[in-house]
Amino acid sequence: MSEHLGATMLNALADGELSAEELARVNEHLAACPQCTTSALEASLLKGATARAGQRYAPPADLRERMVRRMAQEAAIAQSWSRQNGAAQEEPENAAAQVEPRRWGFGSWGLAAAALLLVYASIFLLPHRGGRDLVAAADYSALVTEVSDQHIAMLAANAPPEVISTDRHTVKPWFQGRIPFSFNLPQNLPEDTTLDGANLTYLRNQPTAQLLYSIGKHRVSVFVREQAAGTADDAMSPADYQGFHVMGFRAGGLEAVAVSDVEEARLADLVARIKTAQAK
Amino acid sequence: MALLPWKRAAEIGGPQTATFEDLALPLLPSLYNVAMWLARNSADAEDLVQETFLKALRGFSGFEPGTNFKAWIFRILRNTYLTSRSGLAAMRTVALEEELEEHAVPESAIERQTPELNLMRLSDKASLEAAMEKLSAPLLEVILLCDVEEMKYREIASVLDVPLGTVMSRIARGRAALRGMLAANAPGEREARS
Repeated sequence: MSEHLGATMLNALADGELSAEELARVNEHLAACPQCTTSALEASLLKGATARAGQRYAPPADLRERMVRRMAQEAAIAQSWSRQNGAAQEEPENAAAQVEPRRWGFGSWGLAAAALLLVYASIFLLPHRGGRDLVAAADYSALVTEVSDQHIAMLAANAPPEVISTDRHTVKPWFQGRIPFSFNLPQNLPEDTTLDGANLTYLRNQPTAQLLYSIGKHRVSVFVREQAAGTADDAMSPADYQGFHVMGFRAGGLEAVAVSDVEEARLADLVARIKTAQAK
Repeated sequence: MALLPWKRAAEIGGPQTATFEDLALPLLPSLYNVAMWLARNSADAEDLVQETFLKALRGFSGFEPGTNFKAWIFRILRNTYLTSRSGLAAMRTVALEEELEEHAVPESAIERQTPELNLMRLSDKASLEAAMEKLSAPLLEVILLCDVEEMKYREIASVLDVPLGTVMSRIARGRAALRGMLAANAPGEREARS
């Protein structure tokens, strides 16, 4: 090898990434080339210095303990879930694994912590009615987080919907064969509200229709899936998550959850019309 | 009583019965260190690590025993970072960098631009840390994974989900950028400019 060593070769040498054959050729060149030997030495020194400088931050002393506790709580959620849903229900961690990777919410821990407290309490209260309510509340908190994450991911991706149409008669049939249920879309939408299209997605491992609306310049996701067995028809209490409003309903075998940063009343209007459409 | 999923053995039938905890907790300092470099503040870094652990725990049943757990969990950390608010900006930088890399920057630009560094400059840890802070996220992460975490190129490619050639190119560009910044901050250079 007579040519000088390139940056890639010098890096590979410093990183121990050369094959035996390459290493032999490089060594042969280095033996005869002081300039490349200096560069190789410098590359090695830079790597060592970067390794030392890069090892800069140590975790807080209690982080490990908190992580262990947090994992135990997560296991408690899984346990309470399986108690609630029995063997027929998919394990929640499998469902969670399917939605990974989702967006990471810096502010989600308060909500998660509240949910966990509720679940913890529920374990001791089961099988009393109050315990079930608490589990349902925790489950709803998790749902709020998940739908918000999906909505934000949709906004961030800025990709066109899988079915692009403002026509409800195009969007609804698109789901035939894609989801094991059917739903109605409202004919009359509130003022300044348009249907943009829809995506097929998954919530808790269940196929879900993500309907995309715009209210003015605000984007709205409405997630529609089958109502879980044993849940009563009711309106879901509105929640806020990182500046987004979340609300929905369970009725007629369907569960719909809407997410948007539009003002709450306008979102509620759209949700009410979607609910009314199901009764037809 | 059945074992909880996250207590399930990682290597079924193998001689070692590594649980999620056994595999993940020793990596906590490394994950936190990289998270701090990326997130730049302790609260976000802790959130990032916690979120990573939870996602990894939930997905542990899908982890293939015998494969590289460290690369797997670092990939989750990185994906989690990329889907965060601050990470979204970094993701756009990645796309931009790749574009520049492929179309705008000739290979010669990263070849041998070496102002030869002397030992004094490299031993100045503060300068090197300052230079690393200025590196863009795509270059910084590859330097951290390579030099601090001592990952092989193919492991880094797996963590970042990019081709091997991109890893090599980013390492070259990252180190070239560090050299450039260190040289610019060297005492001789500073005096010459003042």
